[in-house]
Order: sequence, then C-alpha cells, then structure tokens
Amino acid sequence: MDASLALQYAVIALAVVVSAWVVAKKQFPGTVRKARVALALPLLREGRPAWQRKLGQWIAPQASANGAGSCGGCDGCGPTSKP
Amino acid sequence: MSAQTLRLALVGNPNCGKTALFNQLTGSRQKVANYAGVTVERKEGRLTTPSGRSYAVLDLPGAYSLQAASLDEAITRDFCRGFLPGEKAPDVLVCVVDATNLRLHLRFALEVRELGKPMILAVNMMDAAQRRGIEIDLDLLARELGVPVVQTVAVKHNGAQALVSQIERTAEAPHAPTVQLGEGADLHTETRRLLSLAVSMPRRTAHIDDALDRWLLHPVIGIVAFLLVMFLIFQAVYAWATPLMDLIEAGTGALGEWVGGTLPEGPLNSLLVDGVIAGVGGVIVFLPQILILFAFILALEESGYLPRAAFLLDRVMASAGLSGRSFIPLLSSFACAIPGIMATRSIQDPRDRLATILVAPLMTCSARLPVYALLIGAFIPQKKIGAFNQQGLVLFGLYAAGILSALMVSWVMKKWRRDKGEHPLLLELPSYRVPHPRDLLIGLWERAAIFLKRVGGIILALTVLLWFLLNFPAAPEGAIGPAIDYSLAGRIGHAMAAFFAPLGFNWQICIALIPGMAAREVAVSSLATVYALSAADDDAAAQALAPLISDGWSLATALSLLVWYIYAPMCLSTLATIKRETNSWKQMAYATFYLFALAYLASLVTYQVTKALGGG
Repeated sequence: MDASLALQYAVIALAVVVSAWVVAKKQFPGTVRKARVALALPLLREGRPAWQRKLGQWIAPQASANGAGSCGGCDGCGPTSKP
Repeated sequence: MSAQTLRLALVGNPNCGKTALFNQLTGSRQKVANYAGVTVERKEGRLTTPSGRSYAVLDLPGAYSLQAASLDEAITRDFCRGFLPGEKAPDVLVCVVDATNLRLHLRFALEVRELGKPMILAVNMMDAAQRRGIEIDLDLLARELGVPVVQTVAVKHNGAQALVSQIERTAEAPHAPTVQLGEGADLHTETRRLLSLAVSMPRRTAHIDDALDRWLLHPVIGIVAFLLVMFLIFQAVYAWATPLMDLIEAGTGALGEWVGGTLPEGPLNSLLVDGVIAGVGGVIVFLPQILILFAFILALEESGYLPRAAFLLDRVMASAGLSGRSFIPLLSSFACAIPGIMATRSIQDPRDRLATILVAPLMTCSARLPVYALLIGAFIPQKKIGAFNQQGLVLFGLYAAGILSALMVSWVMKKWRRDKGEHPLLLELPSYRVPHPRDLLIGLWERAAIFLKRVGGIILALTVLLWFLLNFPAAPEGAIGPAIDYSLAGRIGHAMAAFFAPLGFNWQICIALIPGMAAREVAVSSLATVYALSAADDDAAAQALAPLISDGWSLATALSLLVWYIYAPMCLSTLATIKRETNSWKQMAYATFYLFALAYLASLVTYQVTKALGGG
C-alpha cells in the first residue's frame, strides 16, 4: 500500500469514528453518558498518575442540571407521573 | 422585609410577554430547572437595581385563571398562595398584562389581586397598544385597582425601567392592595367596568376584527377559507421553489464534478463525491421548499389566524376524540413531532393528552418533505390541472392524508376507551395584524439554521457511516457481482428486501430505511449514496437522484414508499420522546407497533392496487 492510499484510509477512519461518535451522542445519549462514566471512573481513582486523572476528567461527562441525558430532541425531562 | 431576600414572582396569562420581561429584568443571570416532581419549567433569575439591591425573580408558568385547569396553572396558583412544597411564598407579585388584550388579562389580574399580597400591575406591550390606537389611563386604573400600575415594553431596551423603579418603591413599603372585591362579586362584570372607565378602544381595529371574523369563523365559509389557504400554501411550495432548487442542484453537481476531477481516484474521492456531496447535496436541495412552507406558517401565526383555525377545527377534533387544545401541539408537529409531543403538556385531560401524543407522529414533519418532494418530482409530471400545479396537489393530498389518518386513529382510540366526555376550549383570539417582515425573516433564519445544522450534523455523520458500510468489506477476489452486493449494508439490504418485497421496495430502498430512523431526510441522502455507488459508470453516478429512481422504480413502488412515509415510525428521537413524556415503555411500544403496522398495510394495499391497475 503506497503512502497516499494509507493517508486516504487514515482520513476515512477518522471521519468514520467521528461520525459514529456524533450519531451515538445524538441518538443514544444515555448510553454514551454511562459509557463515558464507566471509562472515566477507573482513571480518576486515587493513586493514578496525573495524566490519567486528567484524561479521566476529559472523558467524564459534564454534570447536567436536568438530570442525565436527553432524547435527542431536547434536554427537557419528561413527567414523573403517567398521563 | 429585607430587600436582600425579596422574592418577586412574575404572573400573567400565556403570551403576555412575561418571559421577555423576565429576560429584560434578569439578563443572563438565570437558572432554569423543573419544579420538584413535575416537568413544569422553573425559571429563577436575579435582578440588581441601580440602588444596589438584589432580588430573586421567578417567571411563573402562564395561567388563564387561578381556578387551575392544567398542571401549569396549578403550579402558579400554589406558588402565589405559598402552598407549593419546597418553595417560599413570593413577597411581591408582578402581574403582567397585555395592553392589547386587557379584556382577557385584567380578569386574571383581578383574581391575583384577591390573594391580598403586595402586587404591581405591569401593563406590557404598551407600544403595540399605542400603535393600534388603544388608550389606557394608567393612573385611573391604579386608583380603581388599588395597586401600583406601570407600563412596560418588554422587547425594548430599558422598556422595564418604570417597573424597576416601582419595585424599589414597593420594597421600601410593601402593602396589600387597597381595594378588594366583595364576596360573590363577578370578575367579568368588574373587568367590563374597569375597561369602560380606563380604556378607550379604537372603533376601527375592533371593526376590522369583527368583519374578518364574521367570514373566517363562519362554520362553513371559515372551513372553506381554511382549506383554500392550506391548498394555496402547497401550490406555492412547488411553484416558487423550483428555480432556487435547480440552482442548488447545479451547484452541488458542479462541486461533485470539480472534487471528483481534482482528487486522485481512490477511496477518499469516492467518500467525498459519492458519499458526502451526493448524500448531503441530495438533502440540502430541499431547503427552498422548507423555507417557503414555513414562511406561510409564520405569516399565518403572526397574523393572528392560527388560533382562529384552532377554534374552527375544535368541533371536528372533538368528534374525533381530540380537544381543541390538541391543535397547537399537532400544528407544532408539522415542524417536528418532538416539540409537538412536548407541547401536549398544556392538555389537562390525561386521555386527551395521550391521544394527542400518539397521533402527533402522523402529522407531516418537515423532515418528510425532502422524501415527498423527491418522489413527487420523479414520478408526478409537472403539469397543470385547471389552474393548479399537479405536484402541489399531490403534496397537499399527502399532508391531508396524514391529518385524516390522525383523526381516524384518535376516533378509534376514543371508541376503544368508550369516552363520551368533551372538554371545552378556552382560547385567546388576538387582533388581526399584518406580519412584520423582520419577525418573519428571524423565524425563517431560525428554521434554515435548524435544517442546516441537521445537514451538517446528524445527516452528514450518517451519510459517512452509510458510505463506509456500503464499501466495506470489499468484494472478494474473483467476485462477479457489483462490489456493493458484498458490503455489509448491501447484505443487510438484500436480507430486508424479502420482507419488504410485497410493498415493492427494492434492496436500495431497504438500506435507506435504516439510517432514515435517525432523521427521515437521511433516506434521501442514503438513496443518493447507494445509487451513486451502485452506478455502472461515472456518468450514471453523477446524475441527480430523481431521474435515476424514475427510471429504476415503478409508479407502484414510488406511491408505496410515499404512503410508507405518511405512517412509518421512522424516527428514534420521536419514539424516545413518547417514552419520556408518557413515562411508559408500553405506550412507546404501542405507538411503534401501530405506526409500523399502519405503514406496512397501507403501503401493501397501495402497491398491490397500483400494480393491478397497471402501474407496476
């Protein structure tokens, strides 16, 4: 495989990964949030090197005022009682 | 009373400009959350006056009355009385009324005054009232009401200065209203008395409103006028959008050719030309049609016609098991079902609300317009039937089919639950006015931004993923069929084709149905990518999608796919919102099942009947 083709595949791989991330975040926000928490927690434990803790903080999702996740349409929460 | 902890609550009817006033008072110092245990939004902000005092300001949900008929009104009532758990009672109530509609808003102000708490009446939209020639004697009103009255223009810079000064004075010496109604006094009678004393209405505005309403609210002529307006909108969508659409199509075509010719042959060239430009360009071409449709909807909204349409349709909706309050959520669903479903929170009856939630996906959302426009453009000849454009007629028919289906489904639900109850509709009919071009342009800009954000976000991302799935894994050595048949998406499409064959769907359509679940427009970009990749040569791949499908599909297939999109529950976000709003997996599963079953049956019948008639 020549260098030009390798570079093209690298760009495509990056585009596919970013696209998958965008779709997952938009369509399955709750699952993505849980996955980020699960990934970040081990990195944030006491005794981990500073770079790992920093990486964990970067991976961890932001705290949400309205509770976890959204449906993809908005960030509002649904009612707690059934209509 | 300490000014440091003084709590101000803004109360008023919906659409009185309360939130604009809240924004004016608090600027960006706001905190938005929900009231405990319910979805009603709680907005609190801080106001710091020129004297340095700080106040907590709460924007309460809009209410027509303290005799609560909805969750919003119950929250407002309990908060004002100091009964809402976890909330301190407000120290001063700022009752906001619309100066152009005092007949309705003063009645609520009288109710608030009867609570006996320190209160300020903010007469908002005074500029609009002056423009219409409405004269209000604020001093006389203050004397008769026994509370301070100030004028505000919430949408203008410094439009709340008088209110801020009054808040300062009230904070110094708060006192209860000096006038109260006696036991059994009638609020309507008192409102009429106050209006006759302090407000002079121009004869002309009322005259024009009455004259127009005589025709537009007529039970027969009004309905005919409504249908005519809707009909003309869909005609215009086709008649006016074509030149701009041709321009965008030519632009994306030229861009594709340029990129294809500039980049060396290879996978990146294919991703950009067959994936991104063919896919995204196939969707973006429908922007002019979406904007024309929304220009009309915004103009109708601004003119004051839409609440009248709700009033006209109340009887029809009630007989179908919906209430007049369902009109606005269902109308919102024409833009997108998600805000429509969320807007059902204003429907107080739980069964009416559930019925509205379940039929909202049947309203034709703007994401379906590209699919309809593509298929109509490809299969319906652009000719005139009398004075009407045939393509516009078909589009009108599709929208009408969605509405009629929603009414039929809600009627069946009403029969199923054996509900004979009806709920009266309380609606505010504003004065007619000529829409302001600036407001229309802002509204259109917002719609365009939403659409382009989707194109650049979820649609682009799904197009890239679909291109990947259509190209990998590559065809094995010595393969004789087209490479796309060996790809993951190709295999899925072929597997699905057996299930959808009775509906006339080929494997390319089956592939497009899957990413279309994230956003319906993606079905168009997916078809464009699938056909570009499966084209026999570059010339065929460079063709626009419409001629490709008109050559490759039968009329029966096209009609079947159109009908599929009237019913199909092909939007995951909508289903997630149904789950969230009903708090029930069962209701979401029910919605998915009934929409899917309807889509399959209706498409099956359409395909088989058209084929039998020679359209296959």
